[in-house]
Amino acid sequence: MKFIRKCPFFLLLLSTGLLFSVIGFGGLKNIYATQEYDPVTSPVLSVMFTALNDEIYPWQMFAEKGIMTIADNVAENTGEAGDDGERSPEENSEMPPDGGESESSMAAGDGTEDRQREKAPEEMDGKKEENPSEDVSGNSINHTVKGAIAGAISNSFNEAIDTTIKNSMESGVAANDAEEFPKGRLAPLRESTREEYLNHISADIYGDVGVQRAAAYEFETVDESYFDDALFIGDSRTVGLRDYTDLSEHADFYCETSLTIYKALTQKFKGKGTVEEALLKNTYGKIYIMVGVNELGQGTTENFMEEYTKVVDRIHELAPEAKIFIQGIMRVTGKKHNSDAIFNNNNINARNNAIATLADNEQFFYIDVNEVICDEEGNLNAEYTHDQLHLLGMYNDLWKEFLMTKGVN
Amino acid sequence: MVSFSSLEFLFRFLPIFLILYFVIPSKYKEAVLLAGSLVFYAVGEPVFILVLILATSLNYFFGMRIWKHGEGFAIHEWQKRKRRNAMISAVLLDVLILAVFKILAVFVDNALLPIGISYYIFKMISFQADMLRGEVWKKPKFVSVALYFTIFPQIVSGPIMRYDEGGFGEERRCSLEQFEDGLKYLVLGLGMKVLLADRLAILWNDLQMIGFQSISTPLAWFGAAGYSLQLYFDFWGYSLMASGLMVMLGFEFIPNFNHPYAAKSISEFYRRWHVTLGSWFRDYVYIPLGGSRCSKFRLAVNLAVVWLLTGIWHGNGLNYLIWGAVLGLFVILEKLVYGKYLKKVPVAGNLYVLLLIPLTWVTFAVTDLKKLGIYFGRLFPMIGGAGIAVNQQDIFRYAENYGIYFIAGIALCIPAVYELFEKHKRNPVVILLLAAVFWASVYLLCSSAGNPFMYLKF
Repeated sequence: MKFIRKCPFFLLLLSTGLLFSVIGFGGLKNIYATQEYDPVTSPVLSVMFTALNDEIYPWQMFAEKGIMTIADNVAENTGEAGDDGERSPEENSEMPPDGGESESSMAAGDGTEDRQREKAPEEMDGKKEENPSEDVSGNSINHTVKGAIAGAISNSFNEAIDTTIKNSMESGVAANDAEEFPKGRLAPLRESTREEYLNHISADIYGDVGVQRAAAYEFETVDESYFDDALFIGDSRTVGLRDYTDLSEHADFYCETSLTIYKALTQKFKGKGTVEEALLKNTYGKIYIMVGVNELGQGTTENFMEEYTKVVDRIHELAPEAKIFIQGIMRVTGKKHNSDAIFNNNNINARNNAIATLADNEQFFYIDVNEVICDEEGNLNAEYTHDQLHLLGMYNDLWKEFLMTKGVN
Repeated sequence: MVSFSSLEFLFRFLPIFLILYFVIPSKYKEAVLLAGSLVFYAVGEPVFILVLILATSLNYFFGMRIWKHGEGFAIHEWQKRKRRNAMISAVLLDVLILAVFKILAVFVDNALLPIGISYYIFKMISFQADMLRGEVWKKPKFVSVALYFTIFPQIVSGPIMRYDEGGFGEERRCSLEQFEDGLKYLVLGLGMKVLLADRLAILWNDLQMIGFQSISTPLAWFGAAGYSLQLYFDFWGYSLMASGLMVMLGFEFIPNFNHPYAAKSISEFYRRWHVTLGSWFRDYVYIPLGGSRCSKFRLAVNLAVVWLLTGIWHGNGLNYLIWGAVLGLFVILEKLVYGKYLKKVPVAGNLYVLLLIPLTWVTFAVTDLKKLGIYFGRLFPMIGGAGIAVNQQDIFRYAENYGIYFIAGIALCIPAVYELFEKHKRNPVVILLLAAVFWASVYLLCSSAGNPFMYLKF
């Protein structure tokens, strides 16, 4: 009692702190398994807060049984081939080599499904070495899947999941089925490795074939009125294009700082609604999209590519007549490139090489503004930027002029 | 760790240190605090901590010489001379250390400036002067002096406490109430830093990203005001955290800010802004030079010296010199020309301060002189012209995004609002609000910890 009277504030902080710590600790194995957390520098309660940004709330610990069950499965995963009815292996089948997707299927936990289970082992092959303790004899597929998942989670394969959790909100339709590539789309040359994933290296899994193919198209020079039926989707870079050129007098801009491909269709833009709504309401002749820098540290090239494919296909579905301009992600300066493990031009180029393969030069086009804003080393020209990332207001005109040379009629 | 507004400090260093500090018997508390302070500093400056230790030892040595020749009933002339010489040697040494590192920072690499050196060297100079002036009554022990120089709440950015304000070498009374009070200051300061200053920093960052040539004139003024608030809450918040920590440890609260934006003249502003630095310059430079009890010309020279030194102390760029010179000029003009008229007209003084100070902060903020010129050109388009690729509507977007921080910040600039907190700080509502401020700050710190770009999303 004496303490409550003398230092109520201290006690309030202490008790709330303890409560948050218990929540954080309790969720470490399940809902917070995906949060990056360094026990040396951060308190355990930090996971509760970082999870809020991924729209994971403490009460989901009790609400989402699916997640709990997975965690239990993982926890008891000591090698015995158990009977598990919770998985939805249809998503396992499109699992990228890093295993991120397997978690998403877990997180979704949306029922029992056996039809594609036989696919799993081959997908899992690349993962066996992650669980040396596992007996991956292959006589039990369940077993293997489980091992892979445990490996994934125990190795804190966490970044992919926040993307995949979000993805799983969308329909589980596989837009990018590894076996067949519609519309002449190119297959990746290889898969991202686990090391690349863990080090936030976006693997260059396509090479520049897509870029070459896209560059073969002969664009036309157009004037500003060309953009009267254009829609621009993008992050803060596109915000600069909107605010510091006169393109916004012609085109519609659905752009916002920190937009990612994962939110491109669902993000509610202030006073405008979502891109999907815009596509249903209006008829656009050209749709330009440039996103990708914000999610560089997130997932693999495969994850990014899969989502990107989904998004542009959905746009195409909603606006079948529109030409879709996939814009290569704007690069960063050499200074940034050399000092940043994530936001560097190797990662940007690798992802650009991937999305460039989506161009079929009929409905989908790939254009790359880096051609006009980079120095001879291929880095963003340092004179055009203050923060190494964004064009200074006045240099957005270079981008606009570039777009005017990339018309399709 | 060096920053108080970091998870490592708040959830790792501080709790562990506090437990140690409070379980240890009071006669060892200073030693524990010294050890903790050295650990704190070493984490941030593993190499340059040697400079701190060396400077501390030498200053203690000279301080003891001053003390030795001051003992006894009658002090002879030769003893006075020895005392003076010891003091002058110590001060020259301190100035030399600071000058060497400043020069290295300017001409070689900014990273060569040890953290907090401007602050601890000023404490050392103050200590020597106070020893000579006989303002230190008890023979100081090494632990006490070393603690005074290195104490962790003050080592990075002050406040520049005086030795006799620390109550060193005395029994330290730590009560729960005092701990509670200190904690409240700490949290309030944390909130100012994380919830206000760090948010407003994004605005200034955005202006640089756009390029000053492309901002509209209203946005230029908005940016200057935003930067003024940012700097204020960054530094006031920091000072509150530092002084709050000191109170938690059983020291006196050292005020460093006294509602500067309520001032009615530039000189008053700087009696209220960074109070401990201003009083340091007053006591150890201005008054020894003759202060204001001299000819008008001499007075102007004294003020000019103080303000040029203030400019140099603040940073390495030419812009800091300009900043100090401009402020010095206005202070001199106020003293000699129009100060008395300002006082007579109500509100005139406030408007004068609120208009002029943000402009001086722009000089402080923009280290590149060419860009500084561009910024002033946008502030005063009649001189600077139309700018390039200016978006005339930009102010609306920024006012919408940052308006909330402006409102909160301006409210906190009003002395009565802060006094309301002081008066009702035991009120349960205030306590709940403070707890909310704490956890909101922690939330933002967590969000940015793993991802430095949470602050600056693209």
